Amino acid sequence: MYLNFSFLKTFYPMLLQGARLTLIISAGSLVLGFMLGIIVALMRQSKSRLLRFIGSAWVEFLRNTPFLVQLFFLYFGLPELGIHTDPIITSILALGINSSAPNCEVIRSGLLAVKKGYYECSYALGYNSFQTFRYIVLPVSLRLAFKPLTSNFINLVLTSSVVFSITVNDLMGSSKTVAARTARPFEVFIFIMLAYCVFTFVISFVAKAIDRRISITL
Amino acid sequence: MFEQYLSLTHYDIFFFLKAIGMTLWITLVSITIGTLIGIVMGLIRCSKNKIISAIPLIYIEPLRNSPLVTQLFLTYYGLPVVANIVLDAQAAAIITLSLNTGAFFSVLVHSAVKAIPKLQWEAGFALGHNRYSNFKNIIAPQVLRLLIPSAITLYINQLQVSSFVSLISLIDLTKAGHILTLRTMRPFLIYGIVFVLYFAISYPLSKLAQRLEKKVAFNY
Repeated sequence: MYLNFSFLKTFYPMLLQGARLTLIISAGSLVLGFMLGIIVALMRQSKSRLLRFIGSAWVEFLRNTPFLVQLFFLYFGLPELGIHTDPIITSILALGINSSAPNCEVIRSGLLAVKKGYYECSYALGYNSFQTFRYIVLPVSLRLAFKPLTSNFINLVLTSSVVFSITVNDLMGSSKTVAARTARPFEVFIFIMLAYCVFTFVISFVAKAIDRRISITL
Repeated sequence: MFEQYLSLTHYDIFFFLKAIGMTLWITLVSITIGTLIGIVMGLIRCSKNKIISAIPLIYIEPLRNSPLVTQLFLTYYGLPVVANIVLDAQAAAIITLSLNTGAFFSVLVHSAVKAIPKLQWEAGFALGHNRYSNFKNIIAPQVLRLLIPSAITLYINQLQVSSFVSLISLIDLTKAGHILTLRTMRPFLIYGIVFVLYFAISYPLSKLAQRLEKKVAFNY
């Protein structure tokens, strides 16, 4: 048993391209998932019973079905509806929708943690309810939710590795090609595993540094 | 409207049942083994010696911070080349998923033990327990109570994640849905069925976890 990492010399541009695509997909779905998460969290807070039901059904559905099935559903189902898109866009969509469920839970617990005094205070200052939400409640609750949101993001990056199954050549997909071409799958996949590890460590390190600056206690 | 159901034959029902069996089998075996690994690793992690408690991190961190698909591919495609260990898809899936579950479970065990206040230990020592009997009689029952809801959540997550084994050619529920979609070309119907089946398995469990979480909540 010996390990031979010489494939890196020939194939690093391919892997880098894959890594770039992984970054693009995770960034896109981070934004989408965050927006959807806020919207669904607000739906779950709303006074209308229907909206509350839709919000919780959305979250429960996404949390209790596997991501891979959701991905395949969108990939095969969208053309049925007449929407023909790139697999990259499909995967961003699927990842964004999937990550909206945990994001919603986290943001909702952040919103619930904002005490009544904050609302009363901002009403007393003459803000209307939208301004209260936009300038007072949302920033505070996002600061509270920052840490779990980053761990959701790390999860999202790790989950994004399955999109190779719908023909997207992200880091995992290109590594599969490299493994097939070099016939050294063990080294390639170990390398990719470590690359993902380094990536997530960097994210969590940066997130911790930011969190130390913005974290607050109510 | 219902003629689309005619494209499904009775054979497909058995196909789905077999696929559910595969998913459940893989999940149950791997969470059982994973729980055992997790308990051992988590207890080592709780050791007072800093060096000993850091050893499981070598196992835990790479598995927690890398995608499960890569781990599956590593065992399924990588091991035969490097170490001449040829595993069939099912064995590879079970091994990888158990190790993965073990890594996550050991973190749960560690954080549950850490969540027990120090006073409980001190009270035990004051009553004349030694470290072992203190752990067994006073700490462990409380840890178990904290652990159960989060363990159920992890198990549900592992059930979802077990769908990734379809990528290494194992016919589980996801793969069955995929195959039938390609044959019938009715993604909404087939994936609707797959969604319902997964949901029916994991929704009751997640409700149970939520209920237990409320029950377990306790202020020291």
